[in-house]
Amino acid sequence: MLNLPPRWTMDELWSADLGRVGVWASPSLVVRTDEALPWPRLALADAVAGDWDGLVVVGGGTMIDEAKAALRDADRKRTLVVVPSLWGSGAEASPVVVLNRNGAKQIRVDAKYLPDFRATWPELAATVPAQRAREACGDCWAHALEGFLSPMASDDLRRDLSELLREMIAAPLANDPCWFELSARACAGQAASGVGLVHGVAHALEHALSAAYPDESWHHAKICATMLLPVMQFNRDTSEKWECLTKAWQLDGEAIVAVLRNLHDASAYERIVPVMAEKWMSVLRDPCSRMNGALVRPQSLEYFRTWRAETAPLSLLKEGQGVRA
Amino acid sequence: MHNREKLKSLLVDVFLLEPAEFRFDMTREEVPTWDSLGVVSMAVGIHQTFGYHFTPEEALAIQGVPDIMKLLETKGISFDA
Repeated sequence: MLNLPPRWTMDELWSADLGRVGVWASPSLVVRTDEALPWPRLALADAVAGDWDGLVVVGGGTMIDEAKAALRDADRKRTLVVVPSLWGSGAEASPVVVLNRNGAKQIRVDAKYLPDFRATWPELAATVPAQRAREACGDCWAHALEGFLSPMASDDLRRDLSELLREMIAAPLANDPCWFELSARACAGQAASGVGLVHGVAHALEHALSAAYPDESWHHAKICATMLLPVMQFNRDTSEKWECLTKAWQLDGEAIVAVLRNLHDASAYERIVPVMAEKWMSVLRDPCSRMNGALVRPQSLEYFRTWRAETAPLSLLKEGQGVRA
Repeated sequence: MHNREKLKSLLVDVFLLEPAEFRFDMTREEVPTWDSLGVVSMAVGIHQTFGYHFTPEEALAIQGVPDIMKLLETKGISFDA
């Protein structure tokens, strides 16, 4: 059901017959990439303008999305192979591109943006700082949970995503290369349905938070990781959908809330809420918020103003209805 | 709250309208936020407020507030004053 590009190991990528290709790598990875791949370094603009057969991109979601947009919007079709440097964005497995343009997020969805191949480089997981790795796991969780809850998810997709969520419950929130594949599946799943308020908040507030707290890094995954617990509890408290779906697909509500508690940063949440209040209409207007599984209304802001992690329930299912693993 | 008021409150919120902007004879064309995402939000809100889940075909066929009321009335949800 999940539509994922074929996956290669780095050995398979090395030996693939891709014609005349170059490698566009994140600056922090160019040395390792030079050692690991047989092709020359290539800037994105040169890959688009020159007579190249394709491009191998090694980097994070922002780089991958820029490459997807630049190559696929160009006149001539070129092979695009992506090697994510970190899990979370799932850009290597998604027909969605999110571009930063003049301080705003521009989202495009088209099958043409799906890369031709993806490769997994497990050793890259070892270099990810522990906190960043946890937050990236939160991004994966946001994709999987919001895709599962989306009003546009089919039963087939919910079956696939519920299986994925059970695997994610068992996965450590740490530098583990298993997240590369979990992330790709989560992102492919949300691309087939939609996301929700967690992503709406992240998209609407990322720049505003960076402006309000310039000494702190406010990236997408961090906001997702922090907002998951309050948003899922909001969904539980304002709609029967969460409970119906988690019961129907036999998801362990207590295990899920335990993971979301681990991902939640109460201190970051305290800083997010005032900015969210100031930008609430932007959050409501964000396409992701408008696809949330439970309706987000203007007065919903009060829920988040008064919400505190310490008073959140231990289960995201109502009393006595949790499904034990 | 009467069903008419419930519907008005819901649609004002879903389509991010000022209460004074709302009319019970509004059409989809008059509401810029009644786009494809607005249809999804409206369907979620109708389900949560009135307990009826629009089929995708029903949600897309609705061309205005009167259509919503007519459709819900066929499901036993009354909008009589």
